[in-house]
Amino acid sequence: MASRPELLGIFAHADALLAAISRLKESGGSIRTVFSPVPLHGLQEALKTRPSPVRYGTLLGAILGVLGGFSLAAYSNLQWEFITGGKPVLAWIPFVVVGFEFSILLGVLFTVGSMLIISRLPRFHLPGPYDPRFSVDRFGVLVDCREEEKEMFSSILRDSGAEEVREVR
Amino acid sequence: MEGLSYKDVNRQVLRTLSPPGRFYYLLVGLFLTGVVYGASCWAYQILTGMGVAGVTHPVMWGFYLVNFVFWVGIAHSGTLISAILFLLRARWRTPIARSAEAMTVFAVMIAGLFPFIHLGRVWIFYWILPYPNQRNLWPNFQSPLIFDMIAISTYLTVSVLFWFTGLIPDLAAARDHSTGLRKKIYGFFSLGWAGTHHQWRHHGAAYLFFAALATPLVISVHSVVSWDFALSLVPGWHSTIFAPYFVAGAIHSGLAMVLTLLIPLRRIFRVENLITPRTLESIAKTIILTGLIVGYSYGVEYFMAWYSGNRVERDSFIWRAIGDYAPQFWVMVVCNSIAPLAFFFKKVRTHTGLLFGISILVNIGMWLERFVIIVGSKAHDYNPYSWGLYSPTWVEISIMLGSFCLFFFLFFLFVKFLPSVSITEVKEGLKPPLRGKEEPRGV
Repeated sequence: MASRPELLGIFAHADALLAAISRLKESGGSIRTVFSPVPLHGLQEALKTRPSPVRYGTLLGAILGVLGGFSLAAYSNLQWEFITGGKPVLAWIPFVVVGFEFSILLGVLFTVGSMLIISRLPRFHLPGPYDPRFSVDRFGVLVDCREEEKEMFSSILRDSGAEEVREVR
Repeated sequence: MEGLSYKDVNRQVLRTLSPPGRFYYLLVGLFLTGVVYGASCWAYQILTGMGVAGVTHPVMWGFYLVNFVFWVGIAHSGTLISAILFLLRARWRTPIARSAEAMTVFAVMIAGLFPFIHLGRVWIFYWILPYPNQRNLWPNFQSPLIFDMIAISTYLTVSVLFWFTGLIPDLAAARDHSTGLRKKIYGFFSLGWAGTHHQWRHHGAAYLFFAALATPLVISVHSVVSWDFALSLVPGWHSTIFAPYFVAGAIHSGLAMVLTLLIPLRRIFRVENLITPRTLESIAKTIILTGLIVGYSYGVEYFMAWYSGNRVERDSFIWRAIGDYAPQFWVMVVCNSIAPLAFFFKKVRTHTGLLFGISILVNIGMWLERFVIIVGSKAHDYNPYSWGLYSPTWVEISIMLGSFCLFFFLFFLFVKFLPSVSITEVKEGLKPPLRGKEEPRGV
């Protein structure tokens, strides 16, 4: 099955890009990706994206870390059963330090892990429409289109101020 | 940074990755020689035994532990700048955040080496790790030394990951800018970053959580280091103010090291318009604050020694000021608490030469602070019979020199192989290119 065509519009100006996005959305266009050299203010709102689910990874890691830290300290002290400094074998107050550090460690590891998994990184090949100028000063919008919509979306992109519009498959 | 365009930022920062001159190779060679020399001295100590170091009764914690605490302290401002100031939205941090983070990573790595060097039989270091073994021996999780091992290894992991996460978009910019083998290497480490809105969304969220987690971590790490001392019963160590006192001191020394590194760096790489005098001035203002906290802590230590009514504690602090280590003590007070007060004058904090000079003084002062606390307290314990002085041997001095060389060696490699100013964050601080507006003037 032949893949559906996509139109890539390359912009030099951030406001032109945002205008194009809202016009494309009004015309029923489905925006696949927006490329940008910086996290652009107003972009996520224009695309109506939801907050990143990375936060659930962070929360899970931090909870596992607290439980893991306390469990490790308690388990190993029960194995050893050696009274030091007059403290009981299960001395919960000193274990707070262990639980705290493990919660930060696992929270961070889970944050990185979930960021990479959700962003589908690492990738060994860059997406086809990617242009090296996107890491410098150009913005790109990639929109799905059917054959009959090509003309319309192309003119929306150009009218909004795209420097370049090309079809990619 | 006004008047810069996105393209200018890429061009200026990526220019620092171009092949270096002879002077650079000369310095790197010099630092590498120092590293090899320090490593050889460590090898000599391993082969001969701990007797080659000056630590003996009553001062069993000498130069190695002084350097350990010093390097952990240096590491702290990186996270302060990259995490705490990020959460506080202090915009002046952006051009210096990357190099401060790199400084953190290298300083923690070096700090982590010193307990191994101090360990003597370093080949059994793994006994400190919790792992199931036939003898059913486990580390004591009530000991501050185990807290320390956990805190420092967590801090190293978190700082490396924080640094790398921030680097990903910049590595992609370096990949797109380069050719051949360099392109492949940068491409590999940029993980295929394309700057899509999905990637930015998750990256931004992850970075925010990183900052939120790193902030309590940075405070906990030096608190835990301070408990290595405060949880013992040694006069001069056994104090409840140690945690905040050490954290403030750590940030004080770290900020000074940022100035020491950045003032030459911005000139060598001609990035004065990115790392502006305003940025340096903001660091200087923060140093006034940390210097005042450190000076206040010195005062509180004396107040507590007097007010506690504890004779040993009081004697220990009198001896600190007039005893054998009095010169180190007074140099410490002048360098850490009095010299930074000069930053109250705008002329001083806007003069790069003076900024550089005072930053070196603070580094010296903070190193001496660790010496005064660690060595001074052990040398003058409860029992006059067990009093004694410590002086380092050539092996300890050489290993310390090696550690400084390793730090500068790693930092020099970093500035040549990785973008030492965050391209993404600097661009975020600029106005995005808008239609109808005049293009920003180039540099």
